Amino acid sequence: MSAAMKVHVSAIRKVAPTIKEFILTPADGEFFPFSPGSHIVVEMQTDSKTIRNAYSLLSDPMDNRQYRIAVRLQPESRGGSEFMHHEVHEGDELTITPPNNLFSPDWRAKKHVFFAGGVGITPFMSYIPEMLRRGADFELHYMYRSTQTGAYVEALRDLIGERLHTYDSITSSRAEIADIMAHCPQGTHLYICGPESLIDTVRYRGQQTGWPASHIHYEAFAAPKPGKPFVAELKKSGKTIYVPEDQSLLEALEANEVEIPNLCRGGVCGQCRSPVLDGDIEHRDEFLSEKEKSDNRCIMPCVSRAKSSRLHLDI
Amino acid sequence: MQPVPSIKSRPVYEDIGIDPAVQKHLFIAQTGSFDKLAKLYQACPSDKSCWIVGDDTQESLPDNSRFVSQDGIDTVFGEQFADLPISSHIYVAGQNESFLWDIHNLATRAGLASEQVKMFEPVTNQRRLFCTHCYTLTEGVTHSPYECPGCGRLLLVRDHFSRIHAAYVGVIINAEDPNDIPETEELS
Ligand code: FES
Repeated sequence: MSAAMKVHVSAIRKVAPTIKEFILTPADGEFFPFSPGSHIVVEMQTDSKTIRNAYSLLSDPMDNRQYRIAVRLQPESRGGSEFMHHEVHEGDELTITPPNNLFSPDWRAKKHVFFAGGVGITPFMSYIPEMLRRGADFELHYMYRSTQTGAYVEALRDLIGERLHTYDSITSSRAEIADIMAHCPQGTHLYICGPESLIDTVRYRGQQTGWPASHIHYEAFAAPKPGKPFVAELKKSGKTIYVPEDQSLLEALEANEVEIPNLCRGGVCGQCRSPVLDGDIEHRDEFLSEKEKSDNRCIMPCVSRAKSSRLHLDI
Repeated sequence: MQPVPSIKSRPVYEDIGIDPAVQKHLFIAQTGSFDKLAKLYQACPSDKSCWIVGDDTQESLPDNSRFVSQDGIDTVFGEQFADLPISSHIYVAGQNESFLWDIHNLATRAGLASEQVKMFEPVTNQRRLFCTHCYTLTEGVTHSPYECPGCGRLLLVRDHFSRIHAAYVGVIINAEDPNDIPETEELS
């Protein structure tokens, strides 16, 4: 993990039925401002393993007193969110990476339209203060289920008023995504953060209607999903590593002191690409092309796994 | 035929088709280059219009063509592009490569994505040359070295292309010895 930083958890509060917000302050020194859309990677030490998850920063990017993140409890996952919800307490110390950004706004846009689904509101929380400072034209479409998610609705309403459009699936109608997209003026950029189904819907709609693909930006919450266990054999270091079902290959490598460059830990940035000599890969990333995937010569270990019981890596 | 670029920044012009999902198609040709896009224009079934930059010539142009003078393109197209629906493509054919990129730059300034501007391979290989010493832009350059009309330096015309200036870069070729004048070569 690049240049780890120690932070204190100075406050924890519930911001929606399944979402907790954590306020992090520097353990020593000072935080620096970050760019809107940045994330940090939080390192979590459980009894058996280390989990590292990326979370978007949701505080004002110019505020260097604190970093804030929000974590949705996902019981079906590998345990990172459960750890944050159940094991982390006020006053604890955590280790994080400095902010990185893979989802920054395109400031050349004439207008910005945000689609947030559930906890996908978080990156936009850091966009908005900067958008307001710059006087940018933007609107936010926020979809959630109030029995689970829907954090910050009141605060957002105060901050941006009519530019906020909310869709609570419990009480109101669904967002007319096609309609919203059809009425965007020339020069609009779209940003989506939320579940894969939301991202797919918007991208598919874009293809169907001839929307310029390069003006559609998205970020999935890309915590790696669990899968079948397998064994990774490493040619260069001669190590044999067992990858259990709820650990990513990248995490297993790190646990065995094999450091791989990484940034997003979600299969989008391309940093962790590693060569494969043998074995069947189950590609789960968004980075490699279809051709590269079918060539079966490299893997993004942050999210992808093995279909076979063994994978031979050239690292 | 397009030269095989030895430098990455040199544009390569791909084959162009019509995407039926796109709502509005704008065809733009410099006088004398309509032929380049005629086939595609005829084949395009959806909402389309055709603009010619320059004068009405003997070319066989579609009935509803509109004409713009070269000096007017900034204002006319600037507004035109900003009013396009977001689902639009622009097709450009030109005598000179610089024309294509001037239109491209107007379109992206109006908010279009680069991929929405489809360019045909230019008719001639005349280049716009950017002097890296005095910043003079010269049109219609076909040979290297070329004497910069701005500063008089003898410039090596490089294949490095600046999309912002829609021009190739020229650097002094005989900096060490002004009497050393290399032979002139035709550009491809
Ligand atoms: S860390 Fe970004 S793709 Fe793996």
